[in-house]
Amino acid sequence: MLDTHMIQTRGFRNRADGGFEVRLRLPYYRGLWASLVDGASVTVDGERFAPEDIGWSIGSGSWSLEGMRADTSARWQLEDAAVLTVPRSEPLALGFHDVAVELRLRMSYIPEELQPTVWWEERKLVITQ
Amino acid sequence: MTAADLNLGVSLYSYTSEYAVTMTLDDCVEDVAEMGARGLEILGEAHVEDYPSPSSAWLDAWFARNDRLGLTPTCLGSWVDTRRFPGRAMTVEEAVEQLETDLRLASQLGFRYLRPKLGVVTSDLEPDPVWLPATERVLGLASELDIVVCPEIHWPSAIKSKVVDDYIALIQRTGTQHFGLLIDTGVFHKSMHHRSGGVASRMGDGGARPPLTPVVPVSDLEDVMPYVVHVQAKFYEIDDDLVDHHIPWDEFLEVLVRHGWSGWLSSEYEGDYAVGRASDQLRRQHALIRLALQRLASQEGVTS
Repeated sequence: MLDTHMIQTRGFRNRADGGFEVRLRLPYYRGLWASLVDGASVTVDGERFAPEDIGWSIGSGSWSLEGMRADTSARWQLEDAAVLTVPRSEPLALGFHDVAVELRLRMSYIPEELQPTVWWEERKLVITQ
Repeated sequence: MTAADLNLGVSLYSYTSEYAVTMTLDDCVEDVAEMGARGLEILGEAHVEDYPSPSSAWLDAWFARNDRLGLTPTCLGSWVDTRRFPGRAMTVEEAVEQLETDLRLASQLGFRYLRPKLGVVTSDLEPDPVWLPATERVLGLASELDIVVCPEIHWPSAIKSKVVDDYIALIQRTGTQHFGLLIDTGVFHKSMHHRSGGVASRMGDGGARPPLTPVVPVSDLEDVMPYVVHVQAKFYEIDDDLVDHHIPWDEFLEVLVRHGWSGWLSSEYEGDYAVGRASDQLRRQHALIRLALQRLASQEGVTS
């Protein structure tokens, strides 16, 4: 089962090969073709990471944002959290961080001028090691 | 036909924000059966594991659960995501492929209705033009599988609109028995409900606002009733006196009963997000609807 929050408590961690990861639940009511994701920006303690620099892993697939949007058969199912891989030269310090995510999704049934639909959340999350 | 011929069901859309977070698919379906509902509506892309190709184990569990709980699959929700291909429109061929995929899935799961939510191309929600040729191309398969394709008339669309006229023109021109209208009762809302809870969101980056639509009178239903095949009984809040201040249930049900309509009322709770709230609100709505139907049945008894 997933957390109520979009930004999941589990999965916020430094990567062995540099950078860090944040896990997201789809805050929408259905799963999507992954090509409908316009991207997500991540901000940690005021440091913003742009959508095009963030890698995505969902289920068994891993892509750059561009690669995921070009893969028109990939899906982001409702039960699967997406792992966002964020490049950063230094690992995040142990303890609390202010983490904010803005996720952008394209809905085909909403007029273009009201798109994309943008979801955002800010949480305090803990780096444990 | 009497008021008793209306059947109550629930769409698992009602459990949004609880499904996969506080409730499993089993929990949701058991909740539907426990409240006394007999129809089950799901969204393919939300509730079918590994959509569009569920495993045989998932399918076995689907049928066993419905048998055990006495539930009938009603309508499968699907989407024709016309913006699925970044930088270009969806082709008719691709729309046909999406509709055929969902018709076959609906048939495999035992559904009678398929609700495709169509992409739009204008601010007043005119569907992408692919809908017409694509729908015409799949009517044969729908007939073979005996599934009725029914796009929804959903706020802020109105019943008296070009969209609905075009849907009815297709039925009249082809004489098909496998295309109809789905009415979402949200079109009749008397006052707006602003949903609280959940992850914060906004539509778009500019100052664009959703179109303002006039209140749709229930009487607008009269002319289209022959084409209505399914109802999503959308509601937002039923208060502690069992009163719904948004949707005019008495008026709506009176029209259905007078027309001898005998389809499914499939509840869609779209109110505030909070753990356990959907289960409670759905029960309130079913009690409210049954009480209204009992009043209508006793009036029928008096006048006949």
